[in-house]
Amino acid sequence: MSSAPDSTPALNVSGDLWMIEPQQHGVLDRVRELWRYRYLWWYFAAEALKAMYRRTKLGWIWLVIRVTAPVGVSALFFGGVLGVSSNGPPYFLFFSCGMTTWILFERSLLVVTRSLERNRKLVTKVYFPRLILPLSAVAPGLLYLTILLVVICFTVIYYRRLEGVWYITLRPQLLLAFLAILLTLIFTVSVGLWTSVMQARYPDVRQGIRYFMPFWMYVTPIIYPLTIIPEQWRWLIGLNPMASIVEMFKWGTLGYGQLHPTSMTISFVMIGLTMVSGIWFFNSQESTSIDKL
Amino acid sequence: MHSLVVEGISKRYLVPRPHKSEGTETRLERLRSMFSIPLARDLLGAQEIWALRDVSFEVERGTVLGVIGGNGAGKTTLLKVISKVIAPTSGRIRGYGRVVSLLELGAGFDDEATARENVYMNAAINGVPRAVAAERLNSIIDFADMQNFVDTPVMYFSSGMYLRLAFSVAINMQPSILLADEILAVGDLEFQERCLQKVRDLARETGLTVLFVSHDMEAVSRICNRVIWIKDGQLHRSGEPEDVVTEYQNAAWEMLTAGEKPENKGSAHAGRYGEIVDVKLLSADGREIGSPPKWEDVYVRIRFRTYRAKTQARCAFDLFCKGVLVLRSSQPDLMWVGPDTIYEALVKIPASLLSETNYTINVGVTLIRAEREEHSLVVNRALTFMVYGAEAKETATGKHRMGVIDPTLEWSLERKADVVRA
Repeated sequence: MSSAPDSTPALNVSGDLWMIEPQQHGVLDRVRELWRYRYLWWYFAAEALKAMYRRTKLGWIWLVIRVTAPVGVSALFFGGVLGVSSNGPPYFLFFSCGMTTWILFERSLLVVTRSLERNRKLVTKVYFPRLILPLSAVAPGLLYLTILLVVICFTVIYYRRLEGVWYITLRPQLLLAFLAILLTLIFTVSVGLWTSVMQARYPDVRQGIRYFMPFWMYVTPIIYPLTIIPEQWRWLIGLNPMASIVEMFKWGTLGYGQLHPTSMTISFVMIGLTMVSGIWFFNSQESTSIDKL
Repeated sequence: MHSLVVEGISKRYLVPRPHKSEGTETRLERLRSMFSIPLARDLLGAQEIWALRDVSFEVERGTVLGVIGGNGAGKTTLLKVISKVIAPTSGRIRGYGRVVSLLELGAGFDDEATARENVYMNAAINGVPRAVAAERLNSIIDFADMQNFVDTPVMYFSSGMYLRLAFSVAINMQPSILLADEILAVGDLEFQERCLQKVRDLARETGLTVLFVSHDMEAVSRICNRVIWIKDGQLHRSGEPEDVVTEYQNAAWEMLTAGEKPENKGSAHAGRYGEIVDVKLLSADGREIGSPPKWEDVYVRIRFRTYRAKTQARCAFDLFCKGVLVLRSSQPDLMWVGPDTIYEALVKIPASLLSETNYTINVGVTLIRAEREEHSLVVNRALTFMVYGAEAKETATGKHRMGVIDPTLEWSLERKADVVRA
């Protein structure tokens, strides 16, 4: 059976010419590829969600518990027992509004970090754009966020009944809250682009993050209002993008918060830098790291 | 027109230098390695391993290219580079169209999902939209022959069913290039045949290019148009299937027998009552031979030594082909043997019984002392040899699939009666 190439019918697929070279493709190519593989996003997102309560008896109820329990207990502890002041709204509302974007960040980052490692079996056997993995790994965090937002809604209604005050109203500033969520997503994935690749090489990364996160939370104005920091040092908090994001969310929803122009600018620059460097790092290091999985 | 051009592909891995093997290190060394500075071994002691080195070849459209080579030669690495799973260290590959790979059974399958969901997921992995996959679902299920199991989670599938589904999905993704790594070894013969036939048909009809990695030389020489032989990460030979396969088999046979004496194999060749001295393959005139011709009788000679008196012995051997036990034969009766003597058992394998392929022989000698205590001496893989056929015969019957034996059977064809056609 000799092949007679000229007599064979044309390929019935789009005969794209492709090329494999040691150096990585440009970012634009990657984006195009991501779009071509968009059907996979949902699959990996659903997988990440299912992994959250796989083999548990309570199932989805765990999701609710895992959000409400820590938020409720912490709010009770800091607001009730220690008597931290919120400078305005009820402490529980103040605390849970601060926790929204933080929970999205914290819970997602751990999943994003492990996204390459968790799908090792697939990643080392079949090709698809790896970037899908960290991107779709924010799904669990988004679900937590949604649950917490629902809790906040009920709380607001509760306080309306109790005190006759709408602590959160529908007003244009609310859009800032959505911007804060969007920024959190960008920041989470950007940090995750670094950590997921590092995690593939050094499984220590996950451990490190897990112990580092509480400290990060303490330097973020969630438990306490930003006003307890002396005025002249307040801009420094901008070095922590999560602080600005949390403040932005609180300002958008509760109307209490500090939108400090300098620190906001610093935070935006930080987020931008993390994103650009993250994309660069992931793009250039992803394949060599996968060799080590 | 080429569908795949591989130019100077190399792949280097950096792996940590291995520790001294367990047991040989002293207690102090073990302690030191436990408290060695983390990361230091990673950073300093990296070792280069070249899985592929400067591999170049071109594949015409519609070719079924066989990729052969020993374990660890780099065949799978090559396929992974072509499928973009791993990036090459240097070199370039150009190709046309969609590459679909069947690198490992069950890769890209979710055990807890049903066959239907897995079809969609695999389609997504190959960049095929769900709607398109839904259109093809029926033909996928039909080819895999599992109409009753569409909504069964695949973890309840047998490995054969798994393979059928995986293969069926792969060819229905309309690939231009299909990479198949050894997985056809799993299915039942009937389905294997169907896959190979399908591969050949698609190659001819749509110009599908197939890279087919296999250790089944018979299948390789039957379905491939060309064969490349990868050895130590390099392209060793490339050419007509028959030539390359024959050369490969000869080399494999030489490697197996070179320097390997039955004594060193670690099987229980020596025991309390005796030991197996050697096992040889002899021609009818008593010469030691490596590979016998098909048309001659061949003898297996087993030499063993006894230690004790009042012992009975019986020799036996197993003949394997492609991992299948072809036959087991043993001396019909126990024989009394004397102490401290060398005995020689000779068994004839008649001419025209074996197929033109590779065989392995395991040898056993059972020694029974005082009609009570039984002891077996075993040499696994005592002999590995290839039977070769006459050139003329091969061309007469054409390329055909061989069984594990190929005895010359008597055929007749007689005229029985005339049929009056209405």
